[in-house]
Amino acid sequence: MTTLSNDLTLLADDHVLGLLSETEATLIEEIIQRDPELAARVGRLRDQLLPLDLSAVPQPVSPDLIDAVRAQLAAATPAPAPLSSPHPANDPHPPRRFWPAVAAASVVGLALGFGAGWQTPGPDPVVVAVLLDDAGNPQAVIEDYGNDTAQVRFVADITVPDGQSLQAWTLPSPEIGATSLGVLDGARPAFLDFDDLPNPSGQQLYEVTLEPLGGSPTGRPTGPIIGKGFAALQG
Amino acid sequence: MLQLAPNTPTFGMTTTYRQRPPAGRTRDRMTHVTDRTARLRDALKQCAAENDDGLVQILNIEGPQLLGLATRILGRRDLAEDALQDAMVQIWRKAQQFSDTSGSARGWIYAIVRNRCLNILRDGKRLSLMSPEDLATVQEARQSIEPTQDWEILASGSKLQNCLRGLDDKNREAILLAYVGGYSHGEIAAKQDVPLGTTKSWIRRGLTSLKECLA
Repeated sequence: MTTLSNDLTLLADDHVLGLLSETEATLIEEIIQRDPELAARVGRLRDQLLPLDLSAVPQPVSPDLIDAVRAQLAAATPAPAPLSSPHPANDPHPPRRFWPAVAAASVVGLALGFGAGWQTPGPDPVVVAVLLDDAGNPQAVIEDYGNDTAQVRFVADITVPDGQSLQAWTLPSPEIGATSLGVLDGARPAFLDFDDLPNPSGQQLYEVTLEPLGGSPTGRPTGPIIGKGFAALQG
Repeated sequence: MLQLAPNTPTFGMTTTYRQRPPAGRTRDRMTHVTDRTARLRDALKQCAAENDDGLVQILNIEGPQLLGLATRILGRRDLAEDALQDAMVQIWRKAQQFSDTSGSARGWIYAIVRNRCLNILRDGKRLSLMSPEDLATVQEARQSIEPTQDWEILASGSKLQNCLRGLDDKNREAILLAYVGGYSHGEIAAKQDVPLGTTKSWIRRGLTSLKECLA
């Protein structure tokens, strides 16, 4: 139990009770898929509450229903990444198809405890930040390991114009100001190794901006923000 | 989102009990339940292997109860049938994700149907496509859901019933409005005529006590 963040457990409880929005439910389902411990807890609570579902009065089902289901399945064009495709429990990368479904800004609150479900191999991140664009759509996820290394992954299609670079930043404190975590080679997953910074804390700001090729000329973010978000403390 | 008038009639506890099977059949029921669990697990395996006999099996075993559940949440038979149909499609597509290390096949199937119902309820776009008359009937049917009664028909002396009985009335009511009635936090707060934060803390507190009791 100790490995689960309390926030995540509470969200999972709310999910079983049916209190999450569709967007939140989709996100927590994805997390549950990658977290056997959380999945077991959710399964247990579901089974415990199941008798309440069985207290509804049964209704006769039309024999046509199965044909309607088959017709619906036949009509559906196969998606490029079908819902049924299994993801290994230790797959650190959330499937891309999942992100459009969680575009609403309400995922910000859910970012609490988000990383606990990923089971990233190697060191556990100290904080995880989901970076959202102005419309609240997730663009990237930064995991900061607290030893001056971090990992960035992009979860949206980001086009970097010729002659420009993406740059990752954090704001450890107002005194230190925005500090570069590294200039990125396109919108691809990257491991960042940066200068000595204080250990990251919850609610620390992370962002990715579009900068001139090779990075900001001033050492501070100058370009448009691709995504920004506050860190959620893990563990 | 359904607009529910605040201060709707309260859901007082009643002592209405529906008929229960005679106690002497417990052993048969246990065997039956175990058998059903295994059959549902096999049915999901068939779905995962793209054999649609699995869907037929699930509908044969659980169809009427699932439709009953959907009808209770949605309040309308046609919407409930839509929900069950959509849920069966999802069960087919997600069957490979089921793992019996995380709860029973039965619980997994019911959760998909429940979630489909809740998504329909909370899909403002879908509701806005309904005629005002249809929307009114949905709202009326939802108003008449009395989730705080249904728990009393749980097998008498069952752990869940005992544990629910042990909760503070307000906590129990909030949990049942959520789980059985399919109401959102905001709707429950309106029904209980308390601030949102109070409802949330009643639900949290109630669920914590319930889980401790059930453990």
